[in-house]
Amino acid sequence: MYSAIVFLPLLGAAIAGLFGRLIGDRASQWVTTGLLLISAVLACVGFARVVLGGAPFDVEVMRWIVSGTFEVSWALRFDALSAVMCVVVTVVSGMVHAYSWGYMSHDKSIARFFSYLSLFTFFMLMLVTSNNFVQMFFGWEGVGLASYLLIGFWYDRPSANAAAIKAFLVNRVGDFGFALGILGTFMVFNAVAFDTVFAGVPGVAGKTVHFLGLSVEVMTLLCLLLFVGAMGKSAQLGLHTWLPDAMEGPTPVSALIHAATMVTAGVFMVCRLSPMFEYSQTALTVVTVVGALTAFFAATVGLVQNDIKRVIAYSTCSQLGYMFFAAGVSAYSAAMFHLTTHAFFKALLFLGAGSVIHAMSGEQDMRKMGGIWRKIPVTYTFMWIGSLALAGVPFFAGYFSKDLIIEAAFASKTGVGQFAFWMGTIAAALTAFYSWRLLFMTFHGESRADHDVLHHVHESPVSMTAPMALLAVGAVFSGVALAGLFTGEASSAFWGKAIYVAANHTALKDAHHVALWLKVLPIAVAFAGILAAWYMYIRKPNLPAAMAAEFSDVHSFLYNKWYFDELYDVLFVRPAKWLGRVLWQGGDGRIIDGFGPNGLAALTLDVARRAARLQSGYLYHYAFAMLIGVALFVSYYLFVR
Amino acid sequence: MTSWVPAEFTAALPEIFVALAAMALLLIGAFRGDSQTRTSGWFAVAVLIVAGGLVAGTAASPGSAFGGMFVADAFARFTKILVLTGTALAVILSISYIEREDMARFEYPVLFLFATVGMMMMISANDLIALYVGLELQSLALYVAAAFRRDSLRSSEAGLKYFVLGALASGMLLYGASLVYGFAGTTSFAGIAKSLGANPGNIGALVGLVFIMAGLAFKISAVPFHMWTPDVYEGAPTSVTAFFAVAPKVAALSLFVRVLVGPFGSIVAQWQQIIVAIAILSMVLGAFAAIKQTNIKRLMAYSSIGNVGYMLVGLAAGTEAGVRGMLIYLAIYLAMTVGTFACILAMRVHGRAVEGLDDLKGLGRNRPALALVLAVFMFSMAGIPPLAGFFGKYFVFLAAVQAGMFALAVIGVLASVVAAFYYLRIVKIMYFDEPADAFDRLPGREVGVVMTVTGLFIALFLIIPGPMLHAAAVAAKSLFPG
Amino acid sequence: MILQALAFYLFAAVTIASGVMVIAARNPVHSVLFLILAFFNAAGLFVLMGAEFLAFILVIVYVGAVAVLFLFVVMMLDINFVELRQGFLQYLPVGALVGVILLVEMVFVIGAWVVSPEATGLLAAKAPALAQATNAEALGRILYTKYVYLFQASGLVLLVAMIAAIVLTLRARPGVRRQNIADQVARSRDASVEVKDVPVGKGV
Repeated sequence: MYSAIVFLPLLGAAIAGLFGRLIGDRASQWVTTGLLLISAVLACVGFARVVLGGAPFDVEVMRWIVSGTFEVSWALRFDALSAVMCVVVTVVSGMVHAYSWGYMSHDKSIARFFSYLSLFTFFMLMLVTSNNFVQMFFGWEGVGLASYLLIGFWYDRPSANAAAIKAFLVNRVGDFGFALGILGTFMVFNAVAFDTVFAGVPGVAGKTVHFLGLSVEVMTLLCLLLFVGAMGKSAQLGLHTWLPDAMEGPTPVSALIHAATMVTAGVFMVCRLSPMFEYSQTALTVVTVVGALTAFFAATVGLVQNDIKRVIAYSTCSQLGYMFFAAGVSAYSAAMFHLTTHAFFKALLFLGAGSVIHAMSGEQDMRKMGGIWRKIPVTYTFMWIGSLALAGVPFFAGYFSKDLIIEAAFASKTGVGQFAFWMGTIAAALTAFYSWRLLFMTFHGESRADHDVLHHVHESPVSMTAPMALLAVGAVFSGVALAGLFTGEASSAFWGKAIYVAANHTALKDAHHVALWLKVLPIAVAFAGILAAWYMYIRKPNLPAAMAAEFSDVHSFLYNKWYFDELYDVLFVRPAKWLGRVLWQGGDGRIIDGFGPNGLAALTLDVARRAARLQSGYLYHYAFAMLIGVALFVSYYLFVR
Repeated sequence: MTSWVPAEFTAALPEIFVALAAMALLLIGAFRGDSQTRTSGWFAVAVLIVAGGLVAGTAASPGSAFGGMFVADAFARFTKILVLTGTALAVILSISYIEREDMARFEYPVLFLFATVGMMMMISANDLIALYVGLELQSLALYVAAAFRRDSLRSSEAGLKYFVLGALASGMLLYGASLVYGFAGTTSFAGIAKSLGANPGNIGALVGLVFIMAGLAFKISAVPFHMWTPDVYEGAPTSVTAFFAVAPKVAALSLFVRVLVGPFGSIVAQWQQIIVAIAILSMVLGAFAAIKQTNIKRLMAYSSIGNVGYMLVGLAAGTEAGVRGMLIYLAIYLAMTVGTFACILAMRVHGRAVEGLDDLKGLGRNRPALALVLAVFMFSMAGIPPLAGFFGKYFVFLAAVQAGMFALAVIGVLASVVAAFYYLRIVKIMYFDEPADAFDRLPGREVGVVMTVTGLFIALFLIIPGPMLHAAAVAAKSLFPG
Repeated sequence: MILQALAFYLFAAVTIASGVMVIAARNPVHSVLFLILAFFNAAGLFVLMGAEFLAFILVIVYVGAVAVLFLFVVMMLDINFVELRQGFLQYLPVGALVGVILLVEMVFVIGAWVVSPEATGLLAAKAPALAQATNAEALGRILYTKYVYLFQASGLVLLVAMIAAIVLTLRARPGVRRQNIADQVARSRDASVEVKDVPVGKGV
């Protein structure tokens, strides 16, 4: 059964991918979606088993690599962490599959799309169920590949190709760190299985290694390297630039990969490796700072974006920041909790945005929307639910997880914890603001769309709204339903050994006992944000433009995403291009080609010309050649030997 | 006195048969005139086939004849069959060609048969005088064959050059033979081996060997005794060139092996260096000089020089495995070369034979079948697996590596990379260049048959290499007693 | 004994000198004449060795036939000797160098000459004493028995040479009239004679 959860999507992907042309689009849809839904049901069953107190276990599929002391078996681990992730992944993926029936109905290559989606799901499940680093890396690279394929799904668009390549390359940086981390882990522990490594961690803690003349703690080095991988995959500050561009892919892809599942792989990894991170205070500090900064940075950028999907993308980025700083203050279960709730409401928001885009005939710019809430009431409702959950309005899913994170940050009582707390609080206000800005700009006010477009606005078909409804249920109730299990009194029994928290890291426990103002503060700032949005976009619609003009420097700074892309262009892209050109023209062209192939070829031709010239046609030349040859050979024997 | 006569006859039966048949053919021709050339051509082919049967049948028991001057062993059997096959194929290719080119005279097949007798005598030679006589019989017939189209200046020039240089080479060989005789007191190979075995470091015998090797190297066109090859290949009528490129090479190389491994077997270390030197020179020159050629016959001349270099690599190893590799290479080389020349014979535009590489342009479109066959031969010559040419090279290089001659093997491989350039260029010209004038229909059905048979042999060698490898192993073993 | 040695050195010296002159002489006719001289001296050397049969064969065949044929050919062909000499002079230094090197090497070789101890035992056909058989008889005894293979093979070589000469030179020239006796004999009166009635005073 557990193998089936993982391998059914692969089966679907193979059928749709290899025989899609043969069996047709409709059959491909049925096969992939059907298999995925079965997988989702199985995952829920598995989850229930964990909830009921089943012990974690491994399912070994096969021996994978055996080389000397290096042994990797291909096994599926089912414990609380992977059970949660399996449910999240398969349920969201199933909803996205179903949603795509309607959304992609006009596309040319439906079978290919569904095959990619299922393939992605397989790799993601591979990642979350792995019981060793190598298999995790396999899944890690697999989701990267699937992400590349799906971002560039419309490969006839140059911008989609560029975005796909960008996503792939930026992830390369992270993956390089991840790979180094795995290699380092193997060097230190001589094993790649999680159990073996985790068992060895306490023995290594505190030891240092000399690296580039620096003395570094072993665990800190390993954790930081691994965290670089997490940063790349989860689009944290510095390696986040690919995520907004990834919105070039079809919207269901954005919902599945770039909101609910793949981008959370980094968070999952940190949680999975909590037995390692717990032994490096430095690494935890870095995780906290990076997470907090990302949460704040992405929220500010989200304020001024005009593309509906980009706003949500930055929102995702920001929420991932929350999860990271939760993990950074050792509130791993809070991070996992937010991951789960976020998966529901962010997928819902994306699917809702997709529904809007679908209704607006492909328009994504919010400046060309507005006043359509009456025409697509269902979508409108779902977007409200999603936004309420995102903003952390009480009793929606986000409220439970996000507030807990903010409180945990405060309760950690460390300097970086306080920093994260304030960043998180400000980001919460900003989150509320940009969410309602999105709602107001899209659905309210005067319509700024073309007449034609407006005329065609229509509610999405049931195949799209039904999955959204399911996700909306999740967005409303998952918080209240899972809060006790994930972070309450029973949580330690639930997570078992999957998450390890050092005894002196008590942030999460203390979070439940913070002062009242701390509990109210996030709610208050959220409402403040909503009110501000209402004031600026409904009450005084001219104000935003005026403010943008007044504070044009700030606005363009935010609008241009803090100039990260430009900075990278100057720092990395251009030097890399220059280096590439130098190596290509100078190194490859002049030196390698010059002395290598071309030079040798020229030399060969030269020698050939001389050799051909030997053949003069004169008899006495030939006779001379023979005589000289004999004379040389005889001389050789007489004198040399 | 009478007791040895039957034995002589059985051992030398194929030679006697071919010689008598050649004389019979000469008489028939003298009485019937040139009109029957086609018939006598096929008659010659039949004679060669029967002789092949006799070789295969009679030489089962190795024996020597004529007081030890003539030896028939497994090695002789293998190479004789190669010679007879090569000659037969060359005669088949010639039949239509000589009619078209207006040189159909009955002496043509007769000369080929006499050359074959000479070659078989060379292969079976077990005495320096027998060696020389066989060599002269072969050479004389070849000189005439090269100049056979006596109205053509180029053909006459080719024959004359070949004759003069051949005479020089024969002179060297005789000089060397006399030096060896002076040392050993005998011309018999067994006797020489005995003398050298007792007194290996003798400089006189060694210098004599150098001269003998020079004479033989001339016959196989190894550098630096190769200079005649391009001119003669180009000047001689194409069907004669096809003959030159295969049968005499086989015979001379076999003789080379027999002389070096037999009487001079005890001083391997001495002659090995010369063989290594001429092998390297041949491979390198064959590879480089061919690049600038524009005439396909000239190109094939350099190609044969290079191939001889590869075969000498096997000999240079000085081991049984090396000789075996060389014999395999010889057989494959024979098939490739005959096939390629069959393709060259098919190069006729508007009833006129052409020889330029440029004439091959666009052959892939005009004559796809012909282009495919030629491409197979070129890929095989370039040594690209799974074609037979690869295995030839593989076995000789393997033998060299096993004998510890790594440098030689590496140079050989590098040379074959350079050589691959011009072989593949032909493929490129055929398939990727703008078409030139289309070729005429095949000059005769037999040309197509030869092309197909050799092409199939090259392409399918991989599937059943067993019999060939086994025969070559047996042949090589018979040279290395014990 | 002294006389024999003197004769040997005389013959040998003249042979070598005339050999040099064959290639050094400016006039090819002189070259051929020097060649004949060389043959004669070689024949003398044979006589000294007691091989009088070979000596006479050399004189009769080579001098009497081959060299004379050479002479005819050289006289009849129109060869531009000046042009030939040019090439000779141009390559003289290289040629001389190679020649000298080879010569020196041969001297070395012959200086270090050793006849294998086994050689005497290996001699294939010892020459019988003169008292027992004449030259021709001794040759004949082995030529048709022990060396029959080589004898026949040489015969083939000569046959091929003959074919070669015919192939390369014999051609049916149109317009050349040859006497055909059979035709002449078989000719009938009707085919060759026509009787015409010539009217008086008019002519044919």
